[in-house]
Amino acid sequence: MTLKLKLFDTAHDLMLKQLRPALSVNIGGQDHSLIEQCGVGPERRIEIDGKQIFYRQARDGNTVYLHLEGRNWVVDFIDPRDAAQVEAAGSDAIRAPMPGAVISIEKEPGATVLRGETVLTIESMKLQTNLIAPRDGTLATVLKTVGETFEKGEVVAMMETDDA
Amino acid sequence: MRRIQSAINTSSPEYRKRYAHNVKLVEAFREKQHAARYIRPERDLARLARQGKMLPRERVEKLLDPGTPFLELSSLAGNMDYGGEAPGASIITGLGIVSGREVLIHADDSSVKGGAWYPLSAKKIIRCLDIALENHIPVIHLCDSAGGFLPLQSEVFPDRHMAGRIFRNQCQLSKLGIKQLSLVFGQCTAGGAYIPALSDYNVIVRGTGAVFLGGPPLVKAATGEEVGVEELGGADMHTSVSGTCDYPADTEDEAIAIGREIVAQWDRPKKWDCQREESVEPYYDPSELYGILPDDIKKGFDIREVIARIVDGSRFHEYQPNYGTTLICGFANIWGWKVGILGNNGVLFNDSALKGAHFMELCNQNKTPLVYLQNITGYMIGQEYERLGITKDGAKMIMAQSCSRVPKFTVMCNGSFGAGNYGMCGRAFDARFLFTWPNHQIGVMGGEQATNTLADVKIAQMRRNGEEIDEVLLDELRETTRAAYMEQLSAYYSTSQIWDDGILDPVDTRNALGMAITSALNAPLGDPGYGIFRF
Repeated sequence: MTLKLKLFDTAHDLMLKQLRPALSVNIGGQDHSLIEQCGVGPERRIEIDGKQIFYRQARDGNTVYLHLEGRNWVVDFIDPRDAAQVEAAGSDAIRAPMPGAVISIEKEPGATVLRGETVLTIESMKLQTNLIAPRDGTLATVLKTVGETFEKGEVVAMMETDDA
Repeated sequence: MRRIQSAINTSSPEYRKRYAHNVKLVEAFREKQHAARYIRPERDLARLARQGKMLPRERVEKLLDPGTPFLELSSLAGNMDYGGEAPGASIITGLGIVSGREVLIHADDSSVKGGAWYPLSAKKIIRCLDIALENHIPVIHLCDSAGGFLPLQSEVFPDRHMAGRIFRNQCQLSKLGIKQLSLVFGQCTAGGAYIPALSDYNVIVRGTGAVFLGGPPLVKAATGEEVGVEELGGADMHTSVSGTCDYPADTEDEAIAIGREIVAQWDRPKKWDCQREESVEPYYDPSELYGILPDDIKKGFDIREVIARIVDGSRFHEYQPNYGTTLICGFANIWGWKVGILGNNGVLFNDSALKGAHFMELCNQNKTPLVYLQNITGYMIGQEYERLGITKDGAKMIMAQSCSRVPKFTVMCNGSFGAGNYGMCGRAFDARFLFTWPNHQIGVMGGEQATNTLADVKIAQMRRNGEEIDEVLLDELRETTRAAYMEQLSAYYSTSQIWDDGILDPVDTRNALGMAITSALNAPLGDPGYGIFRF
């Protein structure tokens, strides 16, 4: 299993080779062994390749702040699924998920929209659905008017390209 | 599993509008529930005091282990029937803990018409015993009923799912080794006498408790014999002569204490090995559900926002996130138990139905209980979809759902219209527990559609008869149809008829499901297998 960690701004791949009895990690082709030991209070102790290291840590979501040997370190855990989502969210077209009719238009062309904001509301099968902006940006066009019908998958609005 | 990223803005005007709307609905629900539980005519309270009897809810409270939760079921059964004269259908049922064991409680509510059984009273007791049968949960009966409500006896007594079913279910429970205890606080006459008689254990209170097939007046009318209640079926006679009852008690408190001691002897059912992790509270505040649920049945909301406020740590592994996107499927944990969740995000299309069927098969193979969060206006209709086989794809979903061997749980989160109700495990499909939210509406179609359909039928009828189309008459018809239809669509009508196991404040859903899932694991998993899927 591989972990991708970012130390300050540089990404590093860590290959976890063994969890028990001691953690074995391969970084840049070199194996390291880590043994976590009991600490006292906020002070923690870990043995890396036979060397004792004392440190303190604080977590905030996927970011860990470490204090060791007189320095502060910021380590980010990079979730491959987050990275994939950022890439996938680049679509410009807002499509109708089902056939139906427009019942209201919330944003006019040229408006600045935030990801998740409602652009227009449609009704289909007795149910109103908000069509939302796929990303932050500017709305380029709205292709339907109130009352107009459309088919499933039809593009009903477009985001302006290249304004990210 | 990853935490759901909520897109809810709790300071937006829409959120606040919805919040205010739904809080009002929940307050109205709490008020109705309080009245059904506690408001009684002075006359009935005085009668119970004169007889030296506790209020039925006091008995339940004294029976339960201190500090343990009690999940009351169908607290508003009958609220729209019998002119409101039978709050809770005169029966209290619920899931609780007695002497450290999960039990179902059925208590006759003698503070209403002497605890007489209305048709819905029988239905409520039977539902309680069905839950016991399906989930292998022991039952404690607190008996204090005047017997069937005579003016409505034809709706209480004869049919397959009427009073006889209570005793049939008692026998089936016993056959499966699921224990029953009766505490006899009042008279158990005629059919009611079989409740303690068919229980494994029973306790009877001296002076007020009695068990007989016919009471003294009926005996006198039938045979001329004159006999008092105590000699005919009192505590001492039954515990020392007939052997119909096991333990006499001098007071109700003593009967409850004996009952608790009896339950403490019972072995505990072994739960099957459903995957479990340590339980953590949702990351997002469940009370935000008030601002997520719409203020109009037609307005949509993302069911993932609901999932995020029910499941452990708001964590959810979504299955096929880009396919059949109007049905959200995925894995999560509730009270630590691994569950598969199906929630509606719009009308069901072919791909959503296929995805749902596939996901249910995965859960059945993986021994993962299923939770359905219903907000469904139906399967997509129209020529294109029929040609794509929407009907047969819906049939596949219903087949997978109906034949599921894992326990199923349903929450009616908003609308439940048409065949979507079936695919999403509506009442007919044996969800182990089915709960409803106060904003819920249910019907074969929506209110506006039904009104228009009925008006169209009327217009066609007028034309056929060569009558002139009377617009005023039509408007009147629309209005009366709409009013009647809307009343029947409401969650209160639904719960009155016991189409559910009770209305919940949405914030209580997580705990209700947690209790329900935990108790459902007592019953062994069924055999795997389905009928024919139409491809």
